Amino acid sequence: MVKEYSHPEVLVSTSWVDEHKHDANVRVVESDEDVLLYQQGHVPGAVKIDWHTDLQDQTVRDYIDKDRFAELCSSKGIANDTTVVFYGDKNNWWGCYAFWVFKLYGHADCRVMNGGRKRWELDNRPWSREPEPRYPRTNYVAQEPDHSIRAFRDEVLKHQRQGKPLVDVRSPGEFTGELLHMADYPQEGALRGGHIPGACNVPWSRAANDDGTFKSAKELEKIYAGEAGLKRRTPVIAYCRIGERSSHTWFVLQYLLGYPKVRNYDGSWTEWGNTVGVPIERGAGKPAEKEAVRSGT
Amino acid sequence: MSATVAERIDQVAAEFAELEPRERLELLLEFSEKLPELPERLQAERDAGIGRVHECQTPVFLWVETPQGRVQIYADVAPEAPTVKGFVSVLDEVFSGATPQDALSAEANLVHRFGVAEALGMTRMRGLQAIAHAIRRKIAASAA
Repeated sequence: MVKEYSHPEVLVSTSWVDEHKHDANVRVVESDEDVLLYQQGHVPGAVKIDWHTDLQDQTVRDYIDKDRFAELCSSKGIANDTTVVFYGDKNNWWGCYAFWVFKLYGHADCRVMNGGRKRWELDNRPWSREPEPRYPRTNYVAQEPDHSIRAFRDEVLKHQRQGKPLVDVRSPGEFTGELLHMADYPQEGALRGGHIPGACNVPWSRAANDDGTFKSAKELEKIYAGEAGLKRRTPVIAYCRIGERSSHTWFVLQYLLGYPKVRNYDGSWTEWGNTVGVPIERGAGKPAEKEAVRSGT
Repeated sequence: MSATVAERIDQVAAEFAELEPRERLELLLEFSEKLPELPERLQAERDAGIGRVHECQTPVFLWVETPQGRVQIYADVAPEAPTVKGFVSVLDEVFSGATPQDALSAEANLVHRFGVAEALGMTRMRGLQAIAHAIRRKIAASAA
């Protein structure tokens, strides 16, 4: 059993952020599900990066390319050697998503503020309602995308056929295929419900405590290695609906538990459940998943 | 005589249209701050999970009543979801006090009228649209 996180340095506390938020080599980045939260109040000095309007291409279903990523960083005053600290709402769900995109383009020093907005609030730390601060422009140079952390559909299919582990981090209802698509909006969901055959179901939020911080290494080990039976050396692919919740689980597996080969399948269920001819399984999956159903999301 | 729902949608849309895209988010934030509190009699229902809009990732609880044939909306949205809260507040402003018939004959896709699509992105817009549809369904059910 592991006692400590494998890469404890990637997590920083709210007090660390409070102390270092104005350091020249530190840039605090807020990424939220709710687009108004930053305006409602943010960590003083933090910039805002929106998962949808900043990190995704608005035409092709993909992330912004390397050049636009470099432009985004330059415009936010992030240099190649800047320590970038991500935080946000919902247990840092979107913070982890932004972290993943930064790693995709090779940013070296990425951290997550443990507990995100919730912990900052609980600690009674100050919120700023000032407009987003402007920092001196940098000349950021992005790396080619690192596909060792990103899985594409055909790779997932191959991985599935080889019987390698997949973690479905959606809610039990989505996993079993019971949950219906959004009413009036069938195009929002997928044409088929269920999960990728062989996947285990570990709802992403099980990795977080009530105060938004991550569970201890020991508790995480119990969930992912124990219940879900994920072997450290076997390549693992995590997915959800559009690859956001699974970036949180990717972060947990790769950085907190130290799994060396974890990929996020960002196409996720909205691609898989709409793809002609791919295998799908409905109902309860492996035994580990039944435990997850009992404990809820 | 109060304005029709269609006219109120036009009015609110005009308020948004006057602003720069950035300021529109500020206006939506202002709307979020003026959504009335949930009456005490409905809080127990909410705590029991009644009234939840299941299409929404964010916990959103909605009730529509039509006393004297006029739409009355009650809603509860977590303060951590100001965008959704702001939009529910916009819907409250345009629908409350109208007749169900008037409310249901107004455009269903009103979410696109407020010039916030670019700032919010398509996924969020769909979530808001689902809320508008939920309100319309509840209006229809309450009036039936």
